[in-house]
Amino acid sequence: MRGPAALVWAALAFGQDFSQRGFLEMRLTAYPQVAANDRGRAVAAALLRYEASYKFSPGWRAAAGLDARSDTHHEVERRWALGWQDRERQRPAFTLRRASLLYSRGPVTLELGKQFIRWGKADILNPTDRFAPRDFLGVVDSDFLAVTAARLALGAQTDTLETVFAPRFTPSRIPLANQRWAPLPAGIELQEAAPRYPGGPQFGARWNHVGAGLEYSLSFYEGYNHLPLFEARLSGPPARPRLQAERFYPKLRMYGADAALPLGWVTLKAEGAWFRAPAGSADEYLLYVVQLERQAGEWFLVGGYAGQKVTRVGRGPGFAPDRGLARALLARAGYTIDARRSLALETAVRQNGDGLWLKCEYTQTLGLHWRITAAWTLIRGAPSDFLGQYRRNSHASLILRYSF
Amino acid sequence: MSKAAALWLLAGLCLGGQEAREIVEEAQRRSRAASERYEGTLEVTDARGRVASKRWIYQRLGSHGDSKAVIRFTAPPEVKGVALLILNHPERASDQWMWTPAIQRERRIALQDRSTRFFGTDFSFEDLEERDVNQYDYRLLGEESLEGAACWKIHSQPKRSRASQYTHSILWIRKQNYTFARIENYVGAELVRRAAYREVSNVEGIWTPRLIEMTDLRRRSRTVLRLEKLQYNLPMKDADFTLQALRREF
Repeated sequence: MRGPAALVWAALAFGQDFSQRGFLEMRLTAYPQVAANDRGRAVAAALLRYEASYKFSPGWRAAAGLDARSDTHHEVERRWALGWQDRERQRPAFTLRRASLLYSRGPVTLELGKQFIRWGKADILNPTDRFAPRDFLGVVDSDFLAVTAARLALGAQTDTLETVFAPRFTPSRIPLANQRWAPLPAGIELQEAAPRYPGGPQFGARWNHVGAGLEYSLSFYEGYNHLPLFEARLSGPPARPRLQAERFYPKLRMYGADAALPLGWVTLKAEGAWFRAPAGSADEYLLYVVQLERQAGEWFLVGGYAGQKVTRVGRGPGFAPDRGLARALLARAGYTIDARRSLALETAVRQNGDGLWLKCEYTQTLGLHWRITAAWTLIRGAPSDFLGQYRRNSHASLILRYSF
Repeated sequence: MSKAAALWLLAGLCLGGQEAREIVEEAQRRSRAASERYEGTLEVTDARGRVASKRWIYQRLGSHGDSKAVIRFTAPPEVKGVALLILNHPERASDQWMWTPAIQRERRIALQDRSTRFFGTDFSFEDLEERDVNQYDYRLLGEESLEGAACWKIHSQPKRSRASQYTHSILWIRKQNYTFARIENYVGAELVRRAAYREVSNVEGIWTPRLIEMTDLRRRSRTVLRLEKLQYNLPMKDADFTLQALRREF
């Protein structure tokens, strides 16, 4: 009887320490306007995400996540291979989303492997969030990518020092050149060379203090920008010009700080970072966000301003959605209608009026597992503005998700 | 009013306050435990009768005003992993942080935001705090029978040092076992939330209501919380009630 009893015990123990979650999501996106380089008006996509965690001893835990996806617009690769580096131009059909080993004992937390690391306190835009590359294939609907790193956190509550060492660089995924989120002028053919990925490691440290009311942190990052610059050259006959472009990721050093201070009626949050470019190829600039936050009744309200001060101009064009939201008023509002339904609104309006992004979302849960979301994204502005260049990409989305 | 009558009234109020405070202190003493863990099943019924179900695991280390608690949702799958860390302090309102795994971020719940409902339930963030006897002034209003049980009826008012969404509350405490039978929370003259405590049973020597029904009278909705697999005095570690711990749990 010992064998079966041990098996039952092991199963029970495993059940207690094993945890899993995931979802299957189907998304239909419709664009009323065609783009110069993309005649498609509708995109259907499916994503299956599975994440599991197992605590195999009191101090050790392993976590892993897998994504499987497909779509109609070739944003997803058509290869039966498992991607884990997140360096592919398209989204891999199968991705190891995360895979890490976590050790914790008292005030020490150590996590090794592919993991998510989030810094900063602001909403919508986080200048200090340096270990958080994203999938920007859809620019305004982005998703975080994990980084391969070792993270050591010392301290538990009042003061925490977090250090991160990432031996391998993970870039953000940028829009595909032949699709609508890469708004190239009509008639120009793009030839993209293989990107130059930096070989060196990245390092970061963040000290966070939690007081009775005030919370603040100081952060430092030495590494590379996960958003690229381009070396571009125009060639070919004037009648049929070719743009030859090569992506590269400039060296970056960041000094950052963030704070949250509850006032009488609102919470004031501020986050800023000064970015230095040791190699001199990129801009040097200060990027900051100041916002007020209030949660009252069924409402959640955030409003603020994102600013930028360029201290030295570098060379080369780049893809920088973070700076694209600077010099803008930012706002987010959420309203819970009832236990099943909610509304959300997010917007960014450039202070010079050259760009507008507005997203309205209605969500309803159906039973315990299903959720349906209807969203409308409006983008307007001047072609020279980061937001305005996507003015033909306003879209409506319908998302059906089954969570398990 | 004569001086003598005024003195008698003042003395009566002081005695009433003293007695009420002693009752609440005794209720607090009898429910004291080094730690607590239960699995909560919640049924939220809105004004139109639609029901939504949720589950959470509640863990608490310490007791009454000097404790730490973590509430972690386990169902529905949509909110699985969402967690709230509460650090209760004897001298001031608690500190609270909510962890949202989908965006891998925690957010501090500011004091002025505590009147908000907690994740679609009828409990506000403040309702999830542990109330310490020293943070309130008490006055005995009398005795009253509630659902067949003889109760003390006590007026409770937060002290100035403590910020609360409620201006005052009326407490009903069962005489038989010093458990709460009902708490009615007021903003001015308006009754805004009512908590009813039922199905009292003795768990490891502590009389505990196993069902809490919270009614939001403004929204006309209610949440029924059932405490399952309730255990007291389990070994727990301080390190499991921190922001780092909140982040590392799956």
